[in-house]
Amino acid sequence: MKETRASCRDLEKALAGTDPVLAAAFEAHASGCPACGRELAEFRRIESVAPSLHRAWDSPDLLPRIRQAIAEESARAPELATPPTRWRWVPAVSFAALFGLAAIGLWVFRNGAGRDPLSEHWRTTKAPVLTDEAIEEVDAAERTYLASIEKLSRLAEPTLAGASSPVLVNYREKLEVLDSAINELKTSIDQNRGNTHLRRELLAVYQEKQRTLESLMKEVKS
Amino acid sequence: MTGQPTADSAALVDLYETHGGRMKSIAMNLLGNTTDAEDAVQEAFLRIHRSAASFRGGSSLSTWAYRILVNACYDSLRRGQRRPESPLPEEPALPRSASADTPLRLAIEQALTRLERRERTAFLLCEVEGLSHREAAEILGVNPNTSRTLLFRAKRKLQLELAVRGAFGGTEAVR
Repeated sequence: MKETRASCRDLEKALAGTDPVLAAAFEAHASGCPACGRELAEFRRIESVAPSLHRAWDSPDLLPRIRQAIAEESARAPELATPPTRWRWVPAVSFAALFGLAAIGLWVFRNGAGRDPLSEHWRTTKAPVLTDEAIEEVDAAERTYLASIEKLSRLAEPTLAGASSPVLVNYREKLEVLDSAINELKTSIDQNRGNTHLRRELLAVYQEKQRTLESLMKEVKS
Repeated sequence: MTGQPTADSAALVDLYETHGGRMKSIAMNLLGNTTDAEDAVQEAFLRIHRSAASFRGGSSLSTWAYRILVNACYDSLRRGQRRPESPLPEEPALPRSASADTPLRLAIEQALTRLERRERTAFLLCEVEGLSHREAAEILGVNPNTSRTLLFRAKRKLQLELAVRGAFGGTEAVR
């Protein structure tokens, strides 16, 4: 196995810590190089002192204050988070159509695939698996759907950036939560691209995001 | 979350008891004083209450709560159009580890206020509060590699500034 050697030029990469082999080699280099040794020692001292920046203090009034604020807000605006219901049918219908297409594709695949190993898998296991072709179709539909959401996102961006009213802040928080859920599902799907359950979940979250964006735009217009 | 945290719910108390301390610390280090920090934590819990129904479990509850808190702190900073107080006040009520390198810690606190907002947050989340890059990335709304880059930049900038100011004193080379 080839031994990795480091030099002064590797300082930035080694401190970044993305390559453990290089970091170890640099540490060896630094033990014989005063300049690099000093840099490394300073870096490590920041890391060792950082946890002492954690702050802790008693605040016995905080939880009661939070409870009171929530109770007051609940009494004041019980429907704050409820989006308008008009136009809900638009994403619902487009989503149903999208899903119908995907379902037809799946049905064709399952009934026409004959006796290949994948069909055998379908018969012998309950794990939902898509073929590469079906995945590509779903991916294409997803891309189209994403494009329309992106368009709405761009329209909403300036409004959300300067959001100060509770309603707009609420919309922004909700969209952030949805984005977080989308990222999480995408990561899971990357690890299991044929999982229909995850894809269904992802599409549902996309649908919710589109609905939220449409509600937000209507809220802004009114 | 087992249920939407209403004013009296066990979920709210549980969330506060589990994550409230760390939330206060993050807010304190972002905003610079206990009053603003507690206000930000309160605001974060209000937002969590409003958005709880839409929490789908796509991320962990803690990262979701921290993300809301960080945004509440950013909003607070934006409203005041200010950086955190510099240096952060030494309040007797905030006990410190006796083994901490106090002069260097104070210098870091001061230098932190001059970092770019996301770099400062990445440093606080990962190095101060001990969160993973995956968690920090979710909180910051970036991917883990970007979180690593932000943290590295933060530490490198801190190191360079502290070195210029002589804050490391007699740093000895690693042998």
